[in-house]
Parts: sequence; C-alpha cells; structure tokens
Amino acid sequence: MRNCNFKAILLIMVLMTVLISIPGLAQDKYGGTLVFGRGGDSVNLDPINATDGESFKVTLQVYDTLVQHKPGTTEVIPALARKWDVSDDGKTWTFYLREDAYFHDGNPVNAEAVKWNFDRWRLEDNPYHKGGSFAYYPYIFQGFPGVIKEVNVVDDYTVKFILNEPQAPFLRNLAIVAFGIASPEAVEKWGEDYFKHPVGSGPFKFVEWRKDDRIILEANEDYWNGRPYLDKVILRSIPDSSARYMELQAGAIDMMNQVNPENVKSIQDNEELKLLIRPSMNVAYLAMNFAFEPFDNVKIRRAFSHAINKQELIDAFYVDLAEPAKLPLPPSVWAYNDKIKDYEYNPEKAKELLAEAGYPDGFEFDLYYMPVPRPYMPKPKLIAQTLQYYLSQVGIKANLVTYDWSTYLDKLSNKEAETFIIGWIGDNGDPDNFLFPLLDKTNSENNYKSEELHKVLVAAQTELNTEKRKELYYKAQEIIHEDAPFVPLVHSTDPLALKNKVMNYIPNPTITETFHKVWLQNK
Amino acid sequence: MKDNRKNKKDISNPWLEAWDRLKKNKLGRMGLILVGILITTAILAPIIAPYSFKEQNILKRYQPPSRQHLLGTDELGRDILSRIIYGARISLQIGLISISISLLVGVTLGLIAGYYGGIWDMVIMRFMDIMLAFPAILLAIAIVAILGPQLQNAMIAISIVNVPRFARLIRSSTLSVKNSDYINAARGIGSNDLRIILYHVLPNSMAPLVVQTTLSIATAILEAAALSFLGLGAQPPTPEWGAMLSDARSSLQMAPWVAAFPGLAIMFGVLGFNLLGDGLRDALDPKMINI
Repeated sequence: MRNCNFKAILLIMVLMTVLISIPGLAQDKYGGTLVFGRGGDSVNLDPINATDGESFKVTLQVYDTLVQHKPGTTEVIPALARKWDVSDDGKTWTFYLREDAYFHDGNPVNAEAVKWNFDRWRLEDNPYHKGGSFAYYPYIFQGFPGVIKEVNVVDDYTVKFILNEPQAPFLRNLAIVAFGIASPEAVEKWGEDYFKHPVGSGPFKFVEWRKDDRIILEANEDYWNGRPYLDKVILRSIPDSSARYMELQAGAIDMMNQVNPENVKSIQDNEELKLLIRPSMNVAYLAMNFAFEPFDNVKIRRAFSHAINKQELIDAFYVDLAEPAKLPLPPSVWAYNDKIKDYEYNPEKAKELLAEAGYPDGFEFDLYYMPVPRPYMPKPKLIAQTLQYYLSQVGIKANLVTYDWSTYLDKLSNKEAETFIIGWIGDNGDPDNFLFPLLDKTNSENNYKSEELHKVLVAAQTELNTEKRKELYYKAQEIIHEDAPFVPLVHSTDPLALKNKVMNYIPNPTITETFHKVWLQNK
Repeated sequence: MKDNRKNKKDISNPWLEAWDRLKKNKLGRMGLILVGILITTAILAPIIAPYSFKEQNILKRYQPPSRQHLLGTDELGRDILSRIIYGARISLQIGLISISISLLVGVTLGLIAGYYGGIWDMVIMRFMDIMLAFPAILLAIAIVAILGPQLQNAMIAISIVNVPRFARLIRSSTLSVKNSDYINAARGIGSNDLRIILYHVLPNSMAPLVVQTTLSIATAILEAAALSFLGLGAQPPTPEWGAMLSDARSSLQMAPWVAAFPGLAIMFGVLGFNLLGDGLRDALDPKMINI
C-alpha cells in the first residue's frame, strides 16, 4: 500500500511539473472575476480612517504600505520601500523607495508623497487632516504627532524618519494596512469625501462602491509587482452567514469568510468546495465602560468574569474552532503570559462579589452587540443573548442594543457604549499591537485609564531588547488581569470556504491578504 | 312581573341579538374560539408554560420536538412551546394597547373633523390622507427608525399608522347623522356639542367601530411581528413571535421547526381576530337581521 501511494504521488508530481511547464497553461492564470462574500460592508476606504477588517479588506487591495507581510505570516518584507537602514540608537530610519511605483491616477509614489501622507496623519493642523478620526495613528504611534518627530525627504526616492525615542515594533508597524500610502492629488481633490474615492498604488483599482451591497475593484495593469491574475474582484456583503453559505453553494459567490462553524463539516464533505483555516491571532471580548457606574468598581468587573462560561460558549457556537481567552493577547503572540490563571466560571462567586460591591440585587445596563458576524465572533447576537442569560443568572439585567456596523463603531470610539462586545485582530504579530490600541489610557474605548499600565506599555515600546520587552509585557498582562477592564472571551479561528477553482489564496493571521496572486482555474 | 319580562324580551337588546347571530355564524364562532384560546394562553402563561421563556441551555440547541420539549428548542436551547405561550402575551398586549391608542386618537380626530367640518375637517382629513398615502409598514419602519428599536416604540408606530382608518370611519358616520332630526332635536333642547357627540353621534358609530377595532388588532399583531422580524420591535430575549421567526431564519435548512411554530402562532392569532371581525360585521349589520 505504501509503495502504491508513493508511486501515485510521484506520478502526480511528474504530471504537475509537465503541466506547469506548458507555457499556454501558465498564461491561463490571467483573467476572470472573483466574487468574495463577506459578512459586512466596508465603513471607510481611507485606510487611516478605518479601524475595521471589512474596510481594510478593500483598502489593502488598493493601497501599498512601505513594507508588507510575507503571505501567511507576520514576517516583514519590502513593498514600496525596497530596503531600509536604521541608526544604532533606533531613532533614525531611512527608507529607499522603489522607483517604478505609480498611483492609479498616474502620479509617482516618491519620497514627497510618503512625507505628505505621514504629515497628513500625524499633524492635527495639517489642512488635509480631516474626514475621520485618524484613529490608527495614535493606536500605534502614541497620539498626534506621537513618536514620529520628523519625516524628511532626502532625495526623490529616499525618505528619512526621525523618532523622539526608539519604537521596537516600528518597522512592523509600518506594515499595518492602515498606513497605506494615498495619492496626495486625490486626497486634495476629494477632501472629506476621499474615503469614497480611494486612490492608491496597489494591485487593484477602485471602481465602484454600492453601499451595503458590493465593492468592485479592477486589476491595476501597471502594478509594480506585476499585474494581478484576476481582472476584477467583487466584494459582496451578505451579513447572514447561512445565506452567504447558500450563495456559495449556488455559485453566486466564489469564496466566503466567517463560515458558520456548523457548516464546516458539510464544506469538507462537499467535493466542489474547499476549506481554509486562517491562523488565529485575535481576541473577542466584552468591555465595560469605566465612565458608567458601577463599572468603575473592579469587583463588578471581576464578577462579570466569573459569571461567564467561556467553554460552553465555544462548545455551542464555535464548535472546535476557538479556545477560551484569559488575556487580551492571543497565545500565538510571543509575549503571552501563560502563568496568569483566568477568573474561573463561578456564578456563586460572582454573586458574592456583587454583594460586596453593594449590588446584592444586581442592576440593569446596556450591552451593545455587533450587527455583523466577525472573524472572532461568528454569531454576535446569539452570543450576546447568551451573555445576557449568564448575567441574569447572577441577578444582573442586560438590555441588548445594536446599531448598523459603522454607527456601532462610532458609538464605541465615542466611548458611548456602557458595555460592548467587540474584538481585535492583530495587525503585525507584536504584543504592542494588542495592548496599546486596546488598553492604553490614550486609546481605551471603555475609559480604562491606568497610569501604571501606560508607563509599562510605553517602556516596552521604547525597549529594543526582546527579553526585556517580554518581561514588561508579562507585567502589563498582570496589571490588566488584576484590573479586569474587560472579559476576554475567546481566541477564534476563522474558516474560509472556497470553490475549488479559486487557487493560491493564502490566509494571513492578520486577515490582510491581497488578491494579487490569486487565480481562477477553468474560468 | 311576568308581563314585564315578556316585554323586555320583545324589545330586545341589539347587542344581545348580535351575540346570538355571532354564535350562529360558523366562521365567527371559530374566530371567537381562537381569540379565546389566545387570551386564555396569555393570561395563564406562567401556569401552563413548561419552562421559563428565557431559560436557555446552549448545549441543547436545535433539539427536534420531543416529549421534554413538545415543540423542540431554538438556537439558544430555549423551549419553543414556552416562548410561544409567553409570546401570546406580547402579541395580545401589542394588539390591545396600540389599537386602544389609535382608537382614542382616531375617534377624537374623526369626530372633530366630521362634526365641526370646515377648516377642521380640511386640516385633519388632509393630514390623514397624507398618512394613508404611505404604506403602513414603511411608515411604521420610519417612525421606529426615529424613535429607536424597542417594543414600546414599535407599539407607538403601529398606533400612529392605524389612526387614519379610525378617523375616516368615524368622520363618515358622523357626517351621515350630523343633520338628522334627532341631533337637531337634541340641539333644540339645549344639549351642548360634547353631549351631542358623546351621547348621540358616537353610539351611532359603535357597530362599525367594533368591527374595525377587531380587524385592526389582527393587523397590529402582524405589523408588530413584521417590525420585530426586521429587528425593529421586540429586543431579545422578549419572546415576540416575529422576532422568533427572524432568529430562526438562519437555521431554516437545519431546524425548520424553530421557524415553523412561531409562524403558525402568528397565523392563528391573526386568523382568529380576522374571523372574529368578519363575524362581528355580519352580526352587527342590521340589514342582515332577516337572513
């Protein structure tokens, strides 16, 4: 038997080599339209003003960043910058740009354009610093203008960054899709409406956005890294996951993400479909806003942690595709502090804590839940109802509230939500990318303002020694665990379902994969 | 004594007569029974429901009907039968409360428009025409969108969209009696407008009003279910039938019973009120007496 298998494999390999080497077949990779079904529409196509994965899924096709991730990993490889230098003190970074990159409107991507973009993002008095909150910049670079002191044009294709202090994940941060370089001319032309008319230098050009229906992109013939195989990409939003799956079976879409965990088995059994599992690097959590009483009381927050049965949530809604979260950092990130023990599921203890906090009879509050499925949470409404039930078991009454996706994100960033479920998907695999945007006092959407944590997080950013950084992040996670500003729920795995004809789609842990090298068989 | 009683029967109360006729009408009787069941279920919900409507066991999701759960369990492992029983309360509440409000507002406006006429009639009825120009459900959606998605707001929206029907009905019957002799007589003996309206005009419109109210309750239940289906009405865990139907939609292939039972409940609830309304129409129509 073994022998037989080996022969078969050998035969296939030989056949494949022959097939690949026939030039006509390689040519066939070009052409076709890919229809991608997803759970929600984009919110903002100006990447610096977007914070959600559905917006980034589009902007990363349209824009390039200075550096990017190698497909399937968080390893940094060149993109618009072909190489770079860093000074010994870690404060001066020089990037040498490639000279063959052009924006979709024909302007060259040069040092001037890079400086223009960074100045727009980081300087609040810049005339083009409008059209949104530029949230990702302070998430990553500590406020405006943050750690980046100066951006200087050295020559046409060399740009120099001078930092106030070293930032350990600086290079990785530049690969974050939010820092896509936009065409200055287009931003100047459209002003506040720019987010509907994105112009970058990426593999696909933006064509049309029909709100809540679809976004259409077409191949950028002159892409510096080679024209994409696909002619066109259509991203359709179909919020209901089972409806999306039905469309896939019916052939109306070619691939989908956020597959219902229950459907995984039927996809594996279906000969026309294949299943891809995205490496997990995310967290779903329930946050409690410190600005609302009684959530400023740590006992109440811990009571919440004790009241929720995470394992049961996973068994019911994620099948096997998740693990319970005890910290905001997922275990796949290198500074994960496994020594911390989670608040165990114990309703009695939750009741005791509530009584100690002065609420023996519970209280009533609003719980916001997402209107669309997310990679870290396939069924927000059912999970919200289950959380509501768990909390009712310890005497707390949650009123469920929801809004459309962009309003929901606005309410969260305006810190209006009393408690809310949301999640975070890592952008670059660095622990800073989870802890600083979510929990630092400058960014926290639930008004968690810990000076102690802020000091540790900033120290960890400036520290260049990885071992020392790890210690600092261990410490940070202890503080977070003690303060319990939110209940980490799960780290999930997002399954994708594809028609067999969709080739070379490599899911990335950061969910930021382009369609650049994707091609269709038997179009 | 004996003579007296005999006399009373001869004169006969029109409402009792209508009741007799309703009982003889087959469909009307069926409507009465369905509405009766609905009301009884609503009142006795905590006693007859086997479980609490919010008790959930997420490890027992989508159980088919069994002895333990007569109608199976839903997407959160809650007993569907219990939720439907409690849902009867919600639907009945929506029907009664929202229609009472529209009745009150609609009748008042209709009486003013019909009795005083002139500019009042013009203003009120043109406004009602504008409201009627919108499809009821769209108007309700718009109102809920402004007020925020909540069961109370859905009830307000439903009462608003039902106002014009009552106003029109009352206005036309007011117009038909406004100049009749008995009204003039009442005015002659010095009755004021309020008295004439309450004691002479309104009772004259009672029969069509009762019919319209009954039919409107059916519409209201349906509209509330539609709003909840769209996520604009009852919020979880309220066991509203429309909301249950909407939540069950995603599992239609896998667990059809989760959607089927709330759907049937809506159907029978609405059917009951509609049949009762039709029966009342026949029973209260004086021209039908000899049939």
